[in-house]
Amino acid sequence: MSAENLRPRPAPARWDLRRVPGIGGLFLGSLAAALIMFWVGSDGYRQTLVTSAVTYALIALGMYVPYLMAGSLSMAYSAYAGIGGYAVGLVSTRTGLPLAVAWLVGPIVAALVAVLLGLVTRRLSGFFLAAVTLLFGMAFSAFLIDAEPVSGGSGGLGNLRPLNLFGWTPSHYQVVLGSVVVVCVIAFLLDRLRLSPWGVIVRTMRDAPRAVEAAGVRVPVLNLVALALGAAIAAVGGALFTYSAGSITPDTFTLNIVFLAIFMPLIGGAGTPWGAVAGAVLAVELTLNFPAFQASGTLLLALGVLVIMLLAPRGVLGYADRLRVRTWALLRKEPHGG
Amino acid sequence: MAEEILLVGRGLTKRYGGVTALADVDIELRAGEVLGLVGPNGAGKTTLVDLISGAQTATAGELTLRGARLTGPASRRARAGLARTFQYPQLALELNVRENLLLGRAARRHATLWQMIAGVFVGMVRPRMAADDEFVRAIADELGLGGLEREAGDLTLGEQRLVEVGRALGQDPLVLLLDEPFAGSDARGVAGIAEVIHTVRRRGHAVILVDHNVDLVARLVDRIMLLNQGRVVFDGDPGACLSSPQMQRVYFGSGADDDEAGDESAGAEVQGVRS
Amino acid sequence: MTDLQLWLSAVEIGCFFGMLALAYHLVHVGAGFFNFAIGPYAMMGGLCTTWLVITYDLAVWPAAAIAVAVTVVLSALTELGVVRPVQRRSGGGELPALVAVAAVLFTIQQLAGYVFGYPTLPGQSLATFGPVTVGDVTVQPTSLLMIGVALICFALVAVWIRFTRTGRLLRAVGDSNHAAALLGLPVNRIRLIAFVLAGFVAALAGILFAPKAGVNSLSGLAWSLSGFLAVVVGGTGSVWAPLVGGMLLGLVEVFLPYYFGGQAHVYGMLLIALLFFAFKPQGLFVRTVRA
Repeated sequence: MSAENLRPRPAPARWDLRRVPGIGGLFLGSLAAALIMFWVGSDGYRQTLVTSAVTYALIALGMYVPYLMAGSLSMAYSAYAGIGGYAVGLVSTRTGLPLAVAWLVGPIVAALVAVLLGLVTRRLSGFFLAAVTLLFGMAFSAFLIDAEPVSGGSGGLGNLRPLNLFGWTPSHYQVVLGSVVVVCVIAFLLDRLRLSPWGVIVRTMRDAPRAVEAAGVRVPVLNLVALALGAAIAAVGGALFTYSAGSITPDTFTLNIVFLAIFMPLIGGAGTPWGAVAGAVLAVELTLNFPAFQASGTLLLALGVLVIMLLAPRGVLGYADRLRVRTWALLRKEPHGG
Repeated sequence: MAEEILLVGRGLTKRYGGVTALADVDIELRAGEVLGLVGPNGAGKTTLVDLISGAQTATAGELTLRGARLTGPASRRARAGLARTFQYPQLALELNVRENLLLGRAARRHATLWQMIAGVFVGMVRPRMAADDEFVRAIADELGLGGLEREAGDLTLGEQRLVEVGRALGQDPLVLLLDEPFAGSDARGVAGIAEVIHTVRRRGHAVILVDHNVDLVARLVDRIMLLNQGRVVFDGDPGACLSSPQMQRVYFGSGADDDEAGDESAGAEVQGVRS
Repeated sequence: MTDLQLWLSAVEIGCFFGMLALAYHLVHVGAGFFNFAIGPYAMMGGLCTTWLVITYDLAVWPAAAIAVAVTVVLSALTELGVVRPVQRRSGGGELPALVAVAAVLFTIQQLAGYVFGYPTLPGQSLATFGPVTVGDVTVQPTSLLMIGVALICFALVAVWIRFTRTGRLLRAVGDSNHAAALLGLPVNRIRLIAFVLAGFVAALAGILFAPKAGVNSLSGLAWSLSGFLAVVVGGTGSVWAPLVGGMLLGLVEVFLPYYFGGQAHVYGMLLIALLFFAFKPQGLFVRTVRA
């Protein structure tokens, strides 16, 4: 189809923007994000919707790496998002440290927890892994309620202080804008990572772990790295949400979100991380912003997932991409047609 | 020029419960040598490949590669210089041919934990390098394989095997283990694989070629080992193997059922070849 | 509450988990995978009964019968409409089936929430007799029914698997769906029977257990996990193994909070899961090794 991509290029001098890996997704993603931000404007409710979508998207992007690239379904992501959120909450209420510290500490702690959980469950896969990680998520929220002196118990932590960057405090709109940019950047970077040699190994791990092992890479170790990366990204999502909401409780990140996050890439398309983002936007639109179907939005979403799974396993973006490839092929065949 | 001995296996044994899949097998491989491993179904060919590559752990026996002991998981042995293909191709079916061929080279850059972590950031910054593309292109040319952007799942079985062999070649192995690479291949596939074997030999490295098709193997190798019921019953020149009584017995069953005598004579034959 | 009363409670919960585990076991033996939607089936049984009684003033028995029928239909739909097509397309891979079942679980939860509402509703008791007092222990009629029905269910399934043709076929099919199909065994029919039975057992369990703590549309997930743990702890060695696993978890569920407070049972479950999955994934009672 596009074997010319591979022809040895004489020099890197002929740098071509269109050949930058992942640029197409970034372009379309940013365009959609810009339209959404235009739609949001100064409407407070819509800003909240965007914050939710951003959080969903980041949790789904976090799961994307181990689940859709490496093929192991860990469901402890409510805990990882919670760790990111509580990092912001604790740094904000219990210390005088700058809030930026929380953005660093949260993802790192989440990654470490993911590595520990990954070590304990390294021999599990499929249903067993799903069950243990679900139980871990439950145990984590039980722990948040029990550890009242630290976590504030079931009341959680509130009255978080705003960010202060060298005397500049961003407005709410700026925070929303910033988090949208974060999602776009992470989706773009993950898209590139997917295409990179690292991504090639991790994606091979999913279908042919024996081949990866036989090529010289320790599969369990690389799996841990993938889990850590995913947990860190989900923690960023948790931190963003907590900062925007100004509070966090053990109920902020429920197992419901984890289930939604499994389905988002299926809706949007598992082929690229942007599918997870598209799925998150759709999920928020259906579950939170569908006045006519307020109560049934989630049901609609669930049924939609079943239908997509049965009829369009590549998801909405996957279908769009197929369509694009076909149109492209047609256009190339008759370049001066029309 | 003294031919260096690359791989040595002594007393390789594999038992599953009470069943002995491989009994006390010795194997030696010189630099630049191509060894054929033949035998009927269940003779222990794949088991031997698995024991060498580390996909299974041996019940007994030990291996050395260039004098250094070869132990541990498959990944460590791969880094020591082994590469293999599988009886049932293990390709990432949703990845395209180019990406599958890149695996060996990519793996070499992600051998340690730190490289794996660094790989995340390197991958985000520089996902695709021209040198990698050229590397893949060179392997594909050698295999005679086109259409690098096709998904591996859309290939025929023969093409999948070809990709797998190319992927293993991409690891630039000291010893290349090919487990039934010809099953499902057409003439073009056989030619591509033969080309790969030739390349490895030219580099002064070695190949172990496993297949049912004794005639095809005999044309490609320097030496044949015939396995039957987990034992080596012949080890020597391909031509001599085809006309040997062991061959007759294993494949056509004449003079069967005197296992004791058979084993003794096989032992004598092995001794004879070695000395 | 006396100590004996606690034991009784543990046995009751154990029987509930045991029945859920039995439902898992049936599907696992027949189709070789774990149907995580078992918990939502039970929730459906319990919640639907209560809703029919409250909303339409139906008597308990017809309401329960309708709820069981609805659940059985859902269970059959899971197999026919989701699991079978997904497995056919994806081959033997575990991940697609797992994701499909997760979607079913989530959908049933949302469906129940939409139709029956989200608040917790009290369960309806099927019993028509009063509490029985044995020494210091007062046995509630609902507990008695739970335990009795559980034992009867296990006995019936045991007899069914051992002495009927279909029951024996279930095992033959479960060992390898593929090989059984090659042999000309009615794989699809047997699998469907396994799903239907599982739905029936789960719905019954949900109806009987609902009076104890009430039921809401989200009860199913925790029940799914408990049932799964029970079947893993028990192993696939015998039909009765799920009951043993269920009892063990029942003890954990009752005594850990009693001695260590609040949410100790959640930690206990996680610990048991980790221990069993790591060291004894085949469970306490083992049959032949599956290929």
